[in-house]
Amino acid sequence: MNKYLHTIRNSTGELLTSYSLLFFSTSQWFGLLLLLVTFCKPYAGLPGLIAGVIAILLVKFSGLRGAGVQKGLFCYNAILIGVGMGSFFNWGFAFWLLLFLAVLLSILLSGVLMNQLFPKGLPFLAIPFTVCFWVVILVSREFGAIDLTTRNIYWLNQMYAIGDNGLVNFILYFENLPMHPLLLMFFKSVSSLFFQENVLAGIIISIGLLFHSRISFVLLVLGFLASIGFNSAVHAYNDGINYYLMGGNFLMVALAIGGIFMIPSVYSWLWALVAVPLTFLMVIATGKLCVLLGVPVFSLPFSAVTLLILYFFRVTQQTGRIILTPLQLYSPEKNLYHYLNTKKRLASETWFRFQLPFMGEWIVSQGYEGGITHKGDWSKALDFVIVDAQMKTYSGYALSCEDFYCYNKPVLAPADGYVQELIDQVEDNEIGKVNRQQNWGNTIILRHAEGLYTKICHLRKESFKVKQGEFVKKGQTIAACGNSGRSPEPHLHFQVQYTPYVGSKTVYYPFETFREKKEDTTSVRSFAVPLETAKVSNIITDENLEQAFAFAPGYRMEISADGFDTEYWEVFTDAYNQCYLYSHTQQSTAYFIKGSCYFYFTAFYGNRNSLLYQFYISAYHIALFTEEGTVVTDEFPLQWSRNNPGKWLQDFAAPFVIFRRLLYRSENRQGEGSYFDRETRISSRQSLQYPGFERKANESEIVVREGKIAAFSFMYHNQVKEALCTVKL
Amino acid sequence: MLETMTKLKYERPFIKKMSVGMMDKSAAQSEFTPVNEIDGVAVKELIREYGSPVFVMSETTLINNYQTALQAFRTRYPKVQFAWSYKTHYNNAICRIFHKRGSWAEVVSGFEYRKALNNGVPGSQILFNGPDKHEDELQLAVENDSLIHLDHFEELFVLIGVCNRLQKKARVTIRVNMDTGVQPIWDRFGFNFESGQAWQAISRIATESNLVFTGLHAHIGTYMLSADAYGIAAGKLSDLALRSKKELGILVKYIDLGGGFPGSNMLKGTYGAITIPSIDAFAEAISHSLRTAGFEQNELPLLILESGRALIDDAGYLLGTVLANKKLSDGRKATIMDFGVNILFTSFWYDHKISPAGEPSAYQEDAVLYGPLCMNIDVVRESVRLPLLNRGDHVVVHKVGAYNMTQWMQFIAMRPPIVLIDTNGRTHLIRKREDLAYLEQPEVLPGYLA
Repeated sequence: MNKYLHTIRNSTGELLTSYSLLFFSTSQWFGLLLLLVTFCKPYAGLPGLIAGVIAILLVKFSGLRGAGVQKGLFCYNAILIGVGMGSFFNWGFAFWLLLFLAVLLSILLSGVLMNQLFPKGLPFLAIPFTVCFWVVILVSREFGAIDLTTRNIYWLNQMYAIGDNGLVNFILYFENLPMHPLLLMFFKSVSSLFFQENVLAGIIISIGLLFHSRISFVLLVLGFLASIGFNSAVHAYNDGINYYLMGGNFLMVALAIGGIFMIPSVYSWLWALVAVPLTFLMVIATGKLCVLLGVPVFSLPFSAVTLLILYFFRVTQQTGRIILTPLQLYSPEKNLYHYLNTKKRLASETWFRFQLPFMGEWIVSQGYEGGITHKGDWSKALDFVIVDAQMKTYSGYALSCEDFYCYNKPVLAPADGYVQELIDQVEDNEIGKVNRQQNWGNTIILRHAEGLYTKICHLRKESFKVKQGEFVKKGQTIAACGNSGRSPEPHLHFQVQYTPYVGSKTVYYPFETFREKKEDTTSVRSFAVPLETAKVSNIITDENLEQAFAFAPGYRMEISADGFDTEYWEVFTDAYNQCYLYSHTQQSTAYFIKGSCYFYFTAFYGNRNSLLYQFYISAYHIALFTEEGTVVTDEFPLQWSRNNPGKWLQDFAAPFVIFRRLLYRSENRQGEGSYFDRETRISSRQSLQYPGFERKANESEIVVREGKIAAFSFMYHNQVKEALCTVKL
Repeated sequence: MLETMTKLKYERPFIKKMSVGMMDKSAAQSEFTPVNEIDGVAVKELIREYGSPVFVMSETTLINNYQTALQAFRTRYPKVQFAWSYKTHYNNAICRIFHKRGSWAEVVSGFEYRKALNNGVPGSQILFNGPDKHEDELQLAVENDSLIHLDHFEELFVLIGVCNRLQKKARVTIRVNMDTGVQPIWDRFGFNFESGQAWQAISRIATESNLVFTGLHAHIGTYMLSADAYGIAAGKLSDLALRSKKELGILVKYIDLGGGFPGSNMLKGTYGAITIPSIDAFAEAISHSLRTAGFEQNELPLLILESGRALIDDAGYLLGTVLANKKLSDGRKATIMDFGVNILFTSFWYDHKISPAGEPSAYQEDAVLYGPLCMNIDVVRESVRLPLLNRGDHVVVHKVGAYNMTQWMQFIAMRPPIVLIDTNGRTHLIRKREDLAYLEQPEVLPGYLA
């Protein structure tokens, strides 16, 4: 029984999403609103709904799977066909038969187009609807059992039949509202997407869209004004543009280009403005051709121009001004905020994670572009030595290598890799002398990936712990620091290179995370290159945190809190090797990345009233080490802020300027317990920042004990809630 | 123009002897160079302000030593922790200098344990060593989740009793003694490795539900001159740790190699002929042994060191004043100082370096240095070549930081004050000179004598 309920609930969701998709949204309440609006013309609304249901059932029975199914991508064209047929033809057995076939055709077409276009990163828009509806119109002339309806002309009569005078008056009230003819035209155009010319429907859709997305709404207005403007310049339609052409083409193209398939920006808006006249040309040109076939153009021009522009940007180099939406979140705001946030946060994700090739604290005696030997092609190299409190590199009289602190110290592999090359026959120099014949001295080159090598030089002869070709693990001892080659005193030379040779040129490459002391200030730096004269060391992570946030695939937890459904979380890895926590209970997903020193979430999809969302907010970005004064700061994508005038204002302005920020900070501290199984507490704070002031939004704390997340507390509707976590094996 | 002439310093008559001492690479040995200031503070000023004798501790040297030692280990082994050895110097100011820099505490008695707690060391960062832990002290240690280093089976059984009574778990570490090739073997402390006693103790602990076997400890001697011995000790402890993981499934969290690293003081009878290994040599031997013992990279135990002497000896100075000069019956010259073995306990085994302060005479002679006690044993140096000293001249005794300020005694003379020179060259009194009231404070006079 439960299973059926579940299926019905899911299917209803899919149906509503399909309605919503007509405006590139997946919001179910907006979908419901649109569904209701289609019933302004019940004879069209019902076939639309039925077509949607048929489509969902067909998809279900055909056994199609995947995200596209859930997102309703197969069904929105069917709904349009249903509404369209209801608007043009009288009901009858043949009508329903044709509807069924048309829906089937649209699904087949959607499937094929999806397969052809999605890998190229392109949508199929309203092509299936256009094609199928042409078929319907063309064949209907040959089917005697199907006749055109006159209901459209006398649609108020229908309203009268349904709702008597009251309803008619209500509708007429809106039709006759004293408003600017342009405004009237706008609303009618919006409603025309459902083959209506109904001001009330237009107002409802517009308001709904405004609530769903400010940017979408503005883009509709933009498309509307642009087409009016272009028309008045070229005098194409002297009696004004047909509502349907306006709604289904000009408004849609502005929305698709300006906000949906491109990340909203000044440039995407300019392209939206250009797309409208282009569509205008297409409308007229294809219109002429379609007349020959005896069919209307419907939204073919919109689909064609949108695809044309998107394809163009897909195949050409993107300049950075126009960004095609990398991950479609079905809201211009979400797309924009997610993009901005990811760009800022994950820029460093492309780097290979290197650690410093030694233990303890060393000093950079020569940095990048160092004046001594790090010049020209070999400028992106680092030299390291060890100094004492007096900044001396040796104790005693510096007569022999052994007097130098760094001499014979273990050298570690900076990352996993294979030993590409070993040179191990150069004697150590006497202090002060250099060996220019064997410049690099004893050297090891490690291959970490194809085209990514590290080279460490001036090692001590016969100190190698590995052999050529051997696999080494990150942090493994590979040799000892020496004084061979061009080295007047013992030191370590480190460089990253893209080719495997001893003389290869150096490339800029940062280390993942390290502690840096420079002029009495200590900082933890990530994806950075140590500065000359800075004292640097690797971060030793907190085992407790390390274990608790390891989150290996298959790791399961049960989370319970007062007032929430108990949730079951599980860790999965997707096809792209990205890990995520999935709440089975709430069907919510939180993607995360675990580096060697930090854990952070990269995205959340799903129910914002879930415990997983609260955990996502709390553990958004945390350090895996506990050091006094280490504060991690970050920023949430703006879509997570609550609805209020400030948010709306920001949404309107978002393509141009971001003035509102959702800040995050976290700090770790030792809690109770012994060093060996201590408790670590991660307190985090979320706040909203406007220029000039900051407002605390939430505070949370995660308690980690014995290598497990024991609990986390958070604010929920001004109440402190505590969620208890149990690991399920 | 009138020429003014300053009065020359008086020099008593002496016999100038041909001096052919041991040569080193600089020159003939002498302790001639005067030391007029410590960390920039004049010796004269210190004595004027705090009296004579006075112990002076240099914070700069302490920190330097600590950081050098830490660096020596941390550049060789990823997880290193120092624990300040309280018995070496348990003045709170000194302890806190170490704790402030992350050092834990290593204590060997109940009062040291309480001192560590009072110094703000979390209970879980106190290592409780020593063969004499009272039941109430064990209870305190259990309640504070400290690391209890067991010395013998009797102690183990008492601890089991305490835990059962409190219904609380205790973290235990066993002290292991072993043959590291160095004599004498300190086999009176802890459980023996070679005889299997240590493993027996571990197995016993593993069966106790209230005991958490946490670490392994060895302290193979004091003033050890062989770094290799530490490598051997680290290797044997690693064997136990690996066996514990394999056979009992218990991951040993830390390995404590104690202390015992030598300071740079010269032991009596060595005449500078021996080479004292640097802390680097010990670090290398220990780290290398642990790194290659066979632990998984992510299961390397924490390395704990309880170094005391090596960190503090040369940070301590004793400033004193000449009381008198004498000629002994055999013709040797003797100088009597206002400090003796009562406060310079280490002079029993060290030939402490002593430097004159002020403007010393250009000439030098051999002398016996006596302390102020009316006891024959009170000899600070049996023979030292110093410039000619007069009554009231000041001297500086070097490298007296370890043990003296804990092992000193109040006998005939009161114990002197301790002054700390901080890193900015400011002086702080960290222990007052003792007085009669202090001395008599614990005394009880029976009524009939009052």
